[in-house]
Amino acid sequence: MKKLLISLSLSVSAIASSAVADEVTDFRDGFLKGEVTWSDVETRAKSEGEVNLYYWGGSDPINIWMDQVVTPALAELGVKFNPVRITGTKDAVDLVLAEKGAGKGLGEGSVDAIWLNGENFATLKRQDALFGAFADKMPNSQFIEWNPEDPRSLLNLRDFGVETNAAEVPWSGEQYVCAVNTSRVDKGNVPGTFAELKTYLEANPGKFTYVKPPHYLGNTFVQAAIYAHNPDGTGGEPFQNSIDELGVEELARLITPGLEYLKSLEPLLLGAQSGSARYPEDNTALDGLFLNGEIDFSCKFGLYAVAVGLSNGTYPEGAEAFVFPEGNMIKNKNYLAIPANAPNPAAALVLANYMTSVDSQVTKLKFTGMPAGVDPWKLSEDDVKALTEASPGLVGVTQAELDANTAPDTNATLVDVIEATWLEYIERDSSDQIETIVQRAADNLSK
Amino acid sequence: MARQKFKRALNSRLSPFQKIYLLLVAGFIVGPFVPLLIQSFAFRWAWPDLLPGTWWLEQREKSLLPLAWDYVISPYSRVWEATLNTVFIGAVVTVICLLICLPTARVLAREEFKGKASFEFFLSMPLIVPEAAIGIALLMIFIKIGLAGSYLGIILVHLIPTIPYMIRMLTAVYQGLGRDFEEQAMILGASRWQILRLVTLPMLLPGVVAGALFTFLVSTNIFLLTFFLGQGKIITLPTLLFSKISGGTLDASAAGITLVVTIPGIILLLITERFIKEEAFGKGFGN
Repeated sequence: MKKLLISLSLSVSAIASSAVADEVTDFRDGFLKGEVTWSDVETRAKSEGEVNLYYWGGSDPINIWMDQVVTPALAELGVKFNPVRITGTKDAVDLVLAEKGAGKGLGEGSVDAIWLNGENFATLKRQDALFGAFADKMPNSQFIEWNPEDPRSLLNLRDFGVETNAAEVPWSGEQYVCAVNTSRVDKGNVPGTFAELKTYLEANPGKFTYVKPPHYLGNTFVQAAIYAHNPDGTGGEPFQNSIDELGVEELARLITPGLEYLKSLEPLLLGAQSGSARYPEDNTALDGLFLNGEIDFSCKFGLYAVAVGLSNGTYPEGAEAFVFPEGNMIKNKNYLAIPANAPNPAAALVLANYMTSVDSQVTKLKFTGMPAGVDPWKLSEDDVKALTEASPGLVGVTQAELDANTAPDTNATLVDVIEATWLEYIERDSSDQIETIVQRAADNLSK
Repeated sequence: MARQKFKRALNSRLSPFQKIYLLLVAGFIVGPFVPLLIQSFAFRWAWPDLLPGTWWLEQREKSLLPLAWDYVISPYSRVWEATLNTVFIGAVVTVICLLICLPTARVLAREEFKGKASFEFFLSMPLIVPEAAIGIALLMIFIKIGLAGSYLGIILVHLIPTIPYMIRMLTAVYQGLGRDFEEQAMILGASRWQILRLVTLPMLLPGVVAGALFTFLVSTNIFLLTFFLGQGKIITLPTLLFSKISGGTLDASAAGITLVVTIPGIILLLITERFIKEEAFGKGFGN
């Protein structure tokens, strides 16, 4: 009897929701074809009434900015903003996929937008769980370079080498920057290359470490080392291809010198003198080591990380950014994506459009130190000036130095293989040939 | 006066070893709170400084955004919302749990039936199966029937780990309580309702209060199930705390939130401590 009741109520709700689903998919298809005007989107967003943004909630400044700036701005547009703080972006991705698995379609899920990039976006894309190509169809899309002829559009069109297809809109742009504690290290000893880093550590063993892969901060350090040791001298260029395009053997050949360098570095890392090397789990753990003077250099994504860290006490006095590794400072963007089962798709579009506006980019930079995701050459002079004024400022490096040493991110399909290889070759200290390990990792991942 | 009495009692009854032991226990309980308290007022506290190099109050005016306690008590930290949610969910779970467990415990303590032993074992199953397994399996079902992310859903899952404890405690209480008093009342002409209200419940009260306290505390500490089924939409003190400290290091605002999280439990403990001692034991057993 109970079973019957449940199945009955399920089928009733299924019928009711399928009618809703038709109407909402019509809206989506119309918008993606460009048949729906923006004022129609805004009207619909008002009737949907709310929007749920899922984002990593571990940072006080970001939380404050969301509540203090975004909430009233969206209220003016007639949309109630629900910022949902999560501990890891993957939780939101899992939720979207679980709901999709439970048969919840557009208009029926619980996540309207997610702040993400890289692997998490690639997962949603692979599982066909994205709303569609919305990012170049909003009024504020004009602030982003979409022209594939312009090489500067790369970061908008590819996210860790995966084509975005405008299914996510750039929100912030970051660069992998290392900071030095100048009260502990003489200016002349600050390394610019991996070889110089090793020389420094031979004189001062244990005064450096990097975040442990598979955390993206660790993966990025490993990638930078691999770029710098590319046997062809072509840096990050070949790593823009997917694993299928590049081939497993070629990948193994390209990454071998970098991984051998990292293995030779391991006995010089933090804690290796009294047992085994210590790799911090994430950026807060890394910041703690840097603040406490256990390490002299700290590498993470954060153009303005030094200025922000000094202003909130998480960086030691005397911290400065420096150029490392020369020519291979990886740059990427992070994005807002709308899932395929967003409960309030029009409100999600309104949110994405607001997040791409110059106003929100300026206040975000001012509050949180997160660099702009929109492209400065697409903005008016006044807007660029507003952004420059809002910036917490670079400490120790100039924008020109950073721009001159930029490198692209690694293709998401390679990231998985490189990460697995690092774990086996360095963490588990496997004695197998790197080529064998790469082959095995690629096989495991393709399963 | 009372203090002197206490002091005298301590001096006369405890050996030096016992006193040191007590101090150690107190130290272990209070000790961890000391660095938390200091951290919550710090701006920059780096090793090997014994105290923070820069205090929050020195930086308070210079900072654009609220720091440390300013953040904790601001609406941005969501501490108030999380506290209300935690207390509300805990209270409802405790009441429902009692309603389910009182009759069950009575039967388990007093009646014999076939398969009773295995039934009791079956009741403890939720304590054996890992929370993560229950959480993921339930999430799929709850999403389908629309309970995920709702208060009802969270309250339902909180009953899973709390019912086994409550039943065990109440069964023990019922077992310690003979039928004699109830039979006496019946012989003297009391109705069933009167017996329950005037005899059974007052005598059960200490056990019920202890069980309720325990259920409430368990419910307010459940992280994983709340997190899965609340989908991040319903925040409680444990989920709020976890999202703040998952980084592994504790900054000033995280330390502040941690201190706030302990408050409901401490208040409740103080209230029930008094209640169990004075009211229940005093009146319930008439001595």
